[in-house]
Amino acid sequence: MLIKIRSIANIGLETVPVDVEVDVASAGFPGFTIVGLASKAIEEARERVKTAIINSKLDFPPKKITVNLAPADLPKDGAAYDLPIAIGVLLASGQIPVHLEGVKAHLPGEGEVDLTKSFFYGELSLDGTLRPTRGILLLGLFAKKCGTGSVIFVPAESASEASVVTGIKIIPVKTLTQLASHFLGREITPLTEKPLKDIDELALPEFDLVEIAGQEQAKRALIIAAAGGHNLLMWGPPGTGKTMLSKALPGILPPLSNSEALEVTRIYSVSGLLRPGQPLVYKRPFRSPHHGTSTAGMIGGGSNPLPGEVSLAHLGVLFLDEMPEFPRTVLEGLRQPMEDGTVEIVRVAGHIRYPASFTLIAAINPCPCGYLGHPRRECKCSDKQIAKYRLRISGPILDRIDLFVAVAAVETEKLSLTQEHPADRLTSKKAKEQVLKARKVQSTRFKNGKIGLYTNSQMRNADVKKHCFLTAEAENLLKVAADRFDFSARSYFRLIKVARTIADLESNEKILPLHMAEALQYRQII
Amino acid sequence: MQYHKLKNWQSIPELKSLHDLSTPPKELYFAGKWNPDIIKNCSAVVGSRKMTDYGARVVEKIIPSLIMQGKTVISGFMYGVDQHVHEVCVENRGKTIAVLGWGIDTPLFGSDLALAKKIIASGGILLSEWKTLKAAHWTFPARNRIVAALSSEVFIVEAAQKSGSLITAAIAAKLKRKLWAVPGPVTSRTSKGTNQLIASGKAQMWLGTDHLPGEYETDDPILEILQNEALTADEIARKLKNPVSETGANLSLLLLSGQILEKGGKYYIADVN
Repeated sequence: MLIKIRSIANIGLETVPVDVEVDVASAGFPGFTIVGLASKAIEEARERVKTAIINSKLDFPPKKITVNLAPADLPKDGAAYDLPIAIGVLLASGQIPVHLEGVKAHLPGEGEVDLTKSFFYGELSLDGTLRPTRGILLLGLFAKKCGTGSVIFVPAESASEASVVTGIKIIPVKTLTQLASHFLGREITPLTEKPLKDIDELALPEFDLVEIAGQEQAKRALIIAAAGGHNLLMWGPPGTGKTMLSKALPGILPPLSNSEALEVTRIYSVSGLLRPGQPLVYKRPFRSPHHGTSTAGMIGGGSNPLPGEVSLAHLGVLFLDEMPEFPRTVLEGLRQPMEDGTVEIVRVAGHIRYPASFTLIAAINPCPCGYLGHPRRECKCSDKQIAKYRLRISGPILDRIDLFVAVAAVETEKLSLTQEHPADRLTSKKAKEQVLKARKVQSTRFKNGKIGLYTNSQMRNADVKKHCFLTAEAENLLKVAADRFDFSARSYFRLIKVARTIADLESNEKILPLHMAEALQYRQII
Repeated sequence: MQYHKLKNWQSIPELKSLHDLSTPPKELYFAGKWNPDIIKNCSAVVGSRKMTDYGARVVEKIIPSLIMQGKTVISGFMYGVDQHVHEVCVENRGKTIAVLGWGIDTPLFGSDLALAKKIIASGGILLSEWKTLKAAHWTFPARNRIVAALSSEVFIVEAAQKSGSLITAAIAAKLKRKLWAVPGPVTSRTSKGTNQLIASGKAQMWLGTDHLPGEYETDDPILEILQNEALTADEIARKLKNPVSETGANLSLLLLSGQILEKGGKYYIADVN
């Protein structure tokens, strides 16, 4: 008997339907073959499925079994086809006494399982239990697109991923035996859907600005970066709080909107990085890859390309500590995503595009040993070494960074004498209010403008001319500064963008000299 | 780079100070335009390869005053204090002599070459006692003796405890040249050598050009607090109890008007004189 089970394949963030056709022939030598461009992991499904069925006290038919994964020309990978193959074998061998009427599998009881509307997806363990499987959210979203009445059968441990998708029935399956009884009438209770609610409450930041003593200018730079979506470079000796400051950034960025949260979760679902029971990524991602990360790890890759760090940081923060220590090829690979907000990966398996729109926070030491300019420790590097170290970050990357801020070593005794009371310190909550205000000003300004223009940092030169009104004094100030600091045309526009954000923070329509003067504080220093 | 041998230098009257040495050079080579006048009245300004911001600021104070006195500034063309000395001297339209620690025909690259060209263009020369010799540990102290011998006074800007500049100082003392050392913070490694020269009485303490501290009057609170020490923007904002955004804006304006300087995140008053 031939049975057709529906399943899916995830190619990047795209989902395509896959039909798992299982035929248990009544004649021929016993055997078990899988065809349809299956990878090694799927080939091995034969052993898993066979053993799991036997260990579930069910019969594995000693007949000629052929499994076809259609479309046959699409390469398929992963162990998630175990469940559709197993259920296909059980149905096709007639062990679950179903009456086939067309494609509907009637249960002996009242219910029925409409195989045309059911999706099976999950990895089997040898004892017949289902293992957590990645990409469940994408399956849920795809099932919803397929129409009402869709049912997905997925491993219980990963089922919560899909619970944010409304309008589909999610059956969390623990074991193969349980699923077999479901077909026999003892139905498994479907998962209740959890529609998205206001997720900001759940997103507690990892670090609050209030925990960081001193570094007022760096904090101010963070607020400007968050408000205008600017990339930021922090420059200073080790141990001055660069990492802590950047960890505080997700907490002052505007909360993820529901659609943004879903977008981020999709990426995490494909990567298999969602914890069991975690339906959604609520927090803005903060990724801090080590400088040993390879290009494939940063940009995404593999023969079946998975998202890299740039995509995992989508709509969040990518923090590169000790930026000059990253291999040059890895840093240069950041250029396309920083420009376009997406990254395209081409491999044998195909051409995949992942979103990668992030705020870059780079931290660099002033010199290889890190102590140049430190009040107490001596730097041991030669001038040549220092110059070489700084040259490791190429111009095109620096061009994409709008804000530069020096983070000096904090002399604790000085702090305790002059520092205001911790209660007066800026909290992330207050900072966030400022950021939200400035973002609102920007969204009103860009409402009727180009598509894809949301923040000041995304403005091209033409947009700068259109949206940034400098007073005569501010323009004059900029010209004097350009002359004095020898600005390139590009840094000229970068400064105007930063000044625009500073003016937005004060809800000022014009860029005043004061705003321009403050922006000059964050000019390129390396 | 074009270079020439100085024929029979022993007979040139302007170079007789070199005879003070127990081992005067056998030959002399130079690059640039030979002008015996520039050797008549020379001061050496030397220091550590690892120049701090403080050292750079001292050089920027010493050189203009020497040029005003009509002196030629000699130094050793090594990166750090020495090259900064040549650089500042050229910028201030002074004459400078760079005594090389290697053979004159060694090709120069990058910033070294650019500086050498500037020195020659401004009427200075590059000088060496060797034609073809690679730089080695011993060539630099050997060069130092020429630096010391050619000058009537020697300024040590910055020197660590074991520094080549102290060799220059020792030779200068032996040749009875006037020795100046610039005092520095006792916490600074690169000022240990100079401070010791002063403490042991080998060198006179250089306290800058006539300058009476505290006479600088200003209304600007930022300039007021910067008179005593260099501070970061954060520290200034904290002292003035002002938001850092406002302080930052004011600092930019002072920076543009040339009243203050910024280096490595710290702000300095441009010049108290």
